[in-house]
Amino acid sequence: MQFKTLREDFMKKHLTRIAAATLGIFSATAALAEYPERPITMIVAYSAGGGTDVAARTLVPYLEKYLGNDASIVVSNKPGAGGEVGFTTLAHAKADGYTIGFINAPNILTIPIQRKARYTMEDIQPVANVVYDPGAFGILPSAGIENLDQLIAYAKENPGKVTYGTAGAGSDDHLAVLSLEREHGVKFRHVPFNGNADVRAALLGGHIKMASMNVTEMVSDSEEGTVIVLGQMSKERWEGAANIPTFREQGYDIVMGANRSLGAPAGIPAEALEKLSAATEKAMNDPAFLAGAKDQGLALYYMNAGDFTVSLQSLNEGYKALWAEQPWIAQ
Amino acid sequence: MDILANIWAALPLVFSFDVMLAMVLGTTVGIAVGALPGLSATMGIAVLIPLTFAMSPLVALGMIAGIYNGAMYGGSIPAILLRIPGTPAGIATVFDGYEMARQGRARAALDISLTSSAIGSAVSAIALLLVAPPLAAVALKFGPADYFWLAMFGMMTVAVLISDNPAKGFLSACFGLVIGLVGIDSMTGTERFTFDQLNLLSGINIIVLLTGLYAIPPAVGLLLGQSDVDTSRLNFKGVKERIDWASLVPVWIRSSAIGLFIGLIPALGGNVAAILAWNEQRRVSKSPNYGKGAPDGLAAPECANNADTAATLIPALTLGVPGNAVAAVILGAMLVHGLKPGPELFRDNATTVYGFMLTMLITSGLMYVIGKLGARAFVNVLRLPPLLLGPMILALTTVGVYAVQNSMFDVWLMLGFGLIGFAMERMSIPTAPAVLAVILGPMAEASFRRALLISGGEYGYLFSSAISITLVVLIVLMLLTPVVRHIRARQRRTQEELPSGS
Repeated sequence: MQFKTLREDFMKKHLTRIAAATLGIFSATAALAEYPERPITMIVAYSAGGGTDVAARTLVPYLEKYLGNDASIVVSNKPGAGGEVGFTTLAHAKADGYTIGFINAPNILTIPIQRKARYTMEDIQPVANVVYDPGAFGILPSAGIENLDQLIAYAKENPGKVTYGTAGAGSDDHLAVLSLEREHGVKFRHVPFNGNADVRAALLGGHIKMASMNVTEMVSDSEEGTVIVLGQMSKERWEGAANIPTFREQGYDIVMGANRSLGAPAGIPAEALEKLSAATEKAMNDPAFLAGAKDQGLALYYMNAGDFTVSLQSLNEGYKALWAEQPWIAQ
Repeated sequence: MDILANIWAALPLVFSFDVMLAMVLGTTVGIAVGALPGLSATMGIAVLIPLTFAMSPLVALGMIAGIYNGAMYGGSIPAILLRIPGTPAGIATVFDGYEMARQGRARAALDISLTSSAIGSAVSAIALLLVAPPLAAVALKFGPADYFWLAMFGMMTVAVLISDNPAKGFLSACFGLVIGLVGIDSMTGTERFTFDQLNLLSGINIIVLLTGLYAIPPAVGLLLGQSDVDTSRLNFKGVKERIDWASLVPVWIRSSAIGLFIGLIPALGGNVAAILAWNEQRRVSKSPNYGKGAPDGLAAPECANNADTAATLIPALTLGVPGNAVAAVILGAMLVHGLKPGPELFRDNATTVYGFMLTMLITSGLMYVIGKLGARAFVNVLRLPPLLLGPMILALTTVGVYAVQNSMFDVWLMLGFGLIGFAMERMSIPTAPAVLAVILGPMAEASFRRALLISGGEYGYLFSSAISITLVVLIVLMLLTPVVRHIRARQRRTQEELPSGS
């Protein structure tokens, strides 16, 4: 197998040279401009059937369409260790543009900060952002708290009495509350669960006071009136929850959320990077994809490779600073 | 009646050619997926999701219903015939089912398992159709403290399983508890027993452990020519064994209720339902050979694990709270089709959701028909020469376990557990307590710590809800029953002895 691919590479190289020599018009870049010329593997660091997986598989047909050249993308699930197994596989894959993957911030950023990870952010080339799901706080209507000011006031009167559930220590939900605590001098009590579904059930059952989750997971509860969403942590209101104010609008400067984005091993050919980034943008404007994303309640937010890289870097700095000041997991 | 009107409206959709075909296909695939060790309903449905993008919602959901129901029954086939539970929910089936097969009653065992499964599924589906919203409220009532006591209640079964040899049983249970500790502690983020191994960070998958402990030793046994199923007594044609169906009716009623209840509670699944039902049946059973080939000992877990299926969907559909991995994947599949769980689902997409619930009911019938047709073929597995069957099991389990997380590490891990399982068998250490401890141990630990986090270290919180108190009382009663019996028996003996002695 290994030998065969080596030989194919060898033949390809030589054929290109021969073609270039005989015709005199093809250069190495021209050959690469035909990217993709063979199937692309897309690594998803979470289980088949999960949120990231379903979003990835919804995007794939449109990505294939706009990459052109009869592109074919095969999704490969590499779940485990909160995403680290998949991220590591991606980081160490051959940087030829034929292995890409879904990268989920903040996990991909926080894992190397909080433990000795098997990859670093230098190994990853951000390609495009696809989903940005802002963080949000949900609370039962019976609690009588309707906005952040009331929450902070309540927490100050009852220190340590407000229990909040998250999808685990070090998740974006957890970090969001830590930032709020740090900046406003309040103390909540953290109750980690195994996933967002458990947090939501515990909130609805009244076992915890507050749920820190992503806004898309609470939007239907909010519409039903079963949960009051105190705010969403985005710069601007996500259009799917236009009636929920942002934290900033209420005077709390917290922007945090979960990204689902495309990434590749660092050092992939520039052509491949550009093509992938552009194809993602076109796919995310395709009406059929938009309809599918709406059905799934995905909070789409496109960023090209450049903008997304800058955004990830600034997020990373923020998390590093937070960790230095207040490590979010036991060491 | 709103509900009946909705069911009436959904009927013609369900009985369309496409949906019927999807259900037949789904059920068949489900039975196969359940029967193959390592493969599970969760995976079958997850793999199916991208294929359903182009289908109409009800076709996709009909197929999913078939897979879900079929897999629960399918898991019992290898459990009965080969002592290999196809899914974690099949562990309790091994206890009596395999013993029946050993006694040459494999055909009867498959019949009992199939009928019990179909009845469990049907009861569950009817509950889902008719009384979902009020039952859903139960799901939210369970807080961390209640989960803790429920896990402890489940652990009581270990005591029963190890009664033959307590020391060895404890050893096995402790082994399971330690395995359950491996991985990142979700409460604090600390790595436990991971040995700096990336692949151990998310813990050891229960399917990897189960397959290793249960599938490898029998396969090795076959290769060593030590199969202990008496094929010479197997009745392939001829007269069928008479089964006393009437005596199983109370078993079905009791086990369906247990399965329904466990299904309603998030985080528990068919595996816990089956074990609790088997244990409860043991308490009331009149069979002298319970645990050693008693029909009611087979009917109880099989009925309960199927009664769990549709019940898990009750909180999932009405509240969007998926009770287990399968329900979570099903919700994912529904989202793809724009079906958001919760009250709005029943308002805006009533026909589709009632159609889905109907397919849960219809596939339980289909499962019976397909299972009946297949039974002869399944039994023929035992006719295969051991030298052929052994390698086949090894190959299938390897593929199945690899597919769980696309990880070769898991395959090696499974083979390692296989060696341990083989050694345990040789030393007659029971494996069931280990598996039970892996399922219930982490649940007990996490909910105990969660409860204390909520209460701020106040232990009284553990006894503060009605559910918790009920469970504690049940546990105490279960613990005391043998003691009381023992004392009474001794009193009677001394009373009897006294007159003769004087």
